[in-house]
Amino acid sequence: MVRNIVILGGNSHPKLVDSICNSLGLPKGDRILSSFSVGETRCEIKDSVRGKDVYIIQSGGGKVNDHFMDLCIMISACKTGSAKRVTAVLPLFPYSRQPDLPYNKTGAPLSKQPSTVPGSTYTFESVPATPAPGIAKSAGLTNGMDSLSKRLNRAQVSENNIHSPAVQASPAVNGVNGANGMNGGDSYFKPKRADSSLSLGSSRTPGAFTTHDYEKVNHFTSFQGKPGYKQWVAQAGTLVANLLSCSGADHVITLDLHDPQYQGFFDIPVDNLYGRPLLQRYVQQNIPNFRDAVVVSPDAGGAKRATAIADSLNMEFALIHKVKCPLSSNFLNPETRQERRPTKITDRQNATMMLVGDVANKVCVLVDDLADTSNTITRAAKLLKKEGATMVYALLTHGVLSGDAISRINASAIDKIIVTNSVPQEEHQKLCPKLEVLDVSPAFAEAIRRVHHGESISVLFQYD
Amino acid sequence: MGDMANEIKLLTGNSHPSLAKSVADRLGIEIAKTMSLNYSNQETSVTVGESVRDEDVFILQSTAPNNINDGLMELLIMIHACRTASARRITAVIPNFPYARQDKKDKSRAPISAKLIANMLQTAGCNHVITMDLHASQIQGFFNVPVDNLYAEPSVLRWIRENYPDQDIVIVSPDAGGAKRATSIADRLDRGFALIHKERPRPNVVGRMVLVGDVKDKVAILVDDMADTCGTLAKAAQTVKENGAAEVVAIVTHGILSGDAVNIINNSCLSKVVVTNTVPLGDKQERCKKLNVIDVSPTIAEAIRRTHNGESVSFLFHHAPAV
Repeated sequence: MVRNIVILGGNSHPKLVDSICNSLGLPKGDRILSSFSVGETRCEIKDSVRGKDVYIIQSGGGKVNDHFMDLCIMISACKTGSAKRVTAVLPLFPYSRQPDLPYNKTGAPLSKQPSTVPGSTYTFESVPATPAPGIAKSAGLTNGMDSLSKRLNRAQVSENNIHSPAVQASPAVNGVNGANGMNGGDSYFKPKRADSSLSLGSSRTPGAFTTHDYEKVNHFTSFQGKPGYKQWVAQAGTLVANLLSCSGADHVITLDLHDPQYQGFFDIPVDNLYGRPLLQRYVQQNIPNFRDAVVVSPDAGGAKRATAIADSLNMEFALIHKVKCPLSSNFLNPETRQERRPTKITDRQNATMMLVGDVANKVCVLVDDLADTSNTITRAAKLLKKEGATMVYALLTHGVLSGDAISRINASAIDKIIVTNSVPQEEHQKLCPKLEVLDVSPAFAEAIRRVHHGESISVLFQYD
Repeated sequence: MGDMANEIKLLTGNSHPSLAKSVADRLGIEIAKTMSLNYSNQETSVTVGESVRDEDVFILQSTAPNNINDGLMELLIMIHACRTASARRITAVIPNFPYARQDKKDKSRAPISAKLIANMLQTAGCNHVITMDLHASQIQGFFNVPVDNLYAEPSVLRWIRENYPDQDIVIVSPDAGGAKRATSIADRLDRGFALIHKERPRPNVVGRMVLVGDVKDKVAILVDDMADTCGTLAKAAQTVKENGAAEVVAIVTHGILSGDAVNIINNSCLSKVVVTNTVPLGDKQERCKKLNVIDVSPTIAEAIRRTHNGESVSFLFHHAPAV
């Protein structure tokens, strides 16, 4: 029996809150969390928290800033309500990774033309448009399994439109560039766009950008720093950490932080859980002959994460490495004396990808912590197929999948993508037949139980 | 001396570009080159395109209705960026302070969000705050850094003198909380004063109203610090009209006008609604012909100039700079 504990949930991921409460066998704490008509967050904690151990679960997906402010206000409300200890449980930590914009030497953002016009024929050679500033969104790709899934989904979407208008008008859809980010020129997405723009009465018009605001396109394209000053993008990491502490959080529980160093930004204890056991179990149970498969890290930064899985499962390991410089004879394969890896993407912004290791005629398992625009993994998958991989799985802890990520995954060489429910995946699952979701709530429930009882949680870090 | 350090650097987010522009014009400077955008995952990104090292940084950020939290995060990230970029001093210029109405623990376990915002601003690295007509001036006490609370009152007084020079006017406060603000204006104009008492059962819902004072055959000017959904204002105007006022005008500092406010104003018996430009109005002026705008950018610009030069700001509490 767990006593003196209150579990509160934010609005970002109510399902996860419910299943964590179920695992703990506790009712969810009662609170009002909405907004005033001006848009300020309105929060009232209905259950008493005096002297209690409070856990507030809020993920970082969707409308990130609103959810983050909601969390801070809830923490502060519990603190002023004399809670003994307040723990922020953030399955996906907001602002843990800010993608940096690429800049040329003079400091101006690199702009590039959409490389190929997708839509008619998709081969491994065609480059799906990468959502980045200055690049038109992909109009959707039509071929093979993708077009089948599209037709299936279209049926499903129109069904949704008829039966659940509430879903379309839900606040989750409100972030036009989030959930509706995939409304390119694709016929499949058209019903959804038409519907949502109607139901939202939205005056926003989707432009040709995914990575950035539709509304501020001019703002972006006309921006130039002062001559001679190398412009830079502010990193919000320390700030977010400090804001949580200043709201009154005494403890933070999160999952697979992009940077382990992030823990050092806090002056309060941070428990960083790992998604690895879940992913590992999936590999063992769902990939036939997994010992013959190869674990691949899509970039050098994630190599540690991938090798950890490969080691404990006794699997082969390969690495994809991005080279900035053009290929030279150094990259000739000594055995065949042929150039080995020229998946040369002619564009300056996309560095050339190099595969280190052998994947020919093998099943590949891409492992990464987070997929946002999913540019990296779709490109990596393409390279792997080109190198002769028979099947490509992508295993990710956090599937943010913003912008037109889903349509790109549908069109990509990835055969199966596995993510955890650290952010809500219901919408994604409807749109992406390749997506499988693992449940992280037991891990969080166990962590909460152990933290509450003052037991060691290091057991949760051992998986072998 | 253009290259010398410690000059005014005016930064602004996306919330209210037109106010920033007129403040910058008034100061005779250019807005510093920064850009804030949302990534597709809806996180805010701020790009800094010019040096702020050892400069006196002023970050002007209003908050647009329904984008409060986005605007706030944008401001915090900008402050933090300037702090890490070695600015000498960072002043947040927030014409309408967000969450100002959540300034007390009025129920059990209700958050004092205004205090939280004050803490957040300081945590981000802000050294000074300039704001206007705080909902409760006690919010200044939530900060450990100096807060200059400017008043729109001098600009409002000028507007009344220019537009109603000879009429028999009476200043009306739509609630007991705003009585002080209204009496101050009435005193300085040497005119009468009336007060409306109201019951408020739930937030954003208005109850019964009672008028105290005489408004018969006069031009009644309702004075308040903010107009949000305008339910109060419309009901107050109705009450005043029923008590025999010849004309009803409303003057509010912060015209938030969220929700259905524009329609409520259009259908009310108010002949004019005068707001300042502390809050971006968007297309509301086109949709509401009764809306008049007082420009407070001269006051804000003058406060920035005086703060930078180390001069007293208190002059601005009683005088509006010439437009």
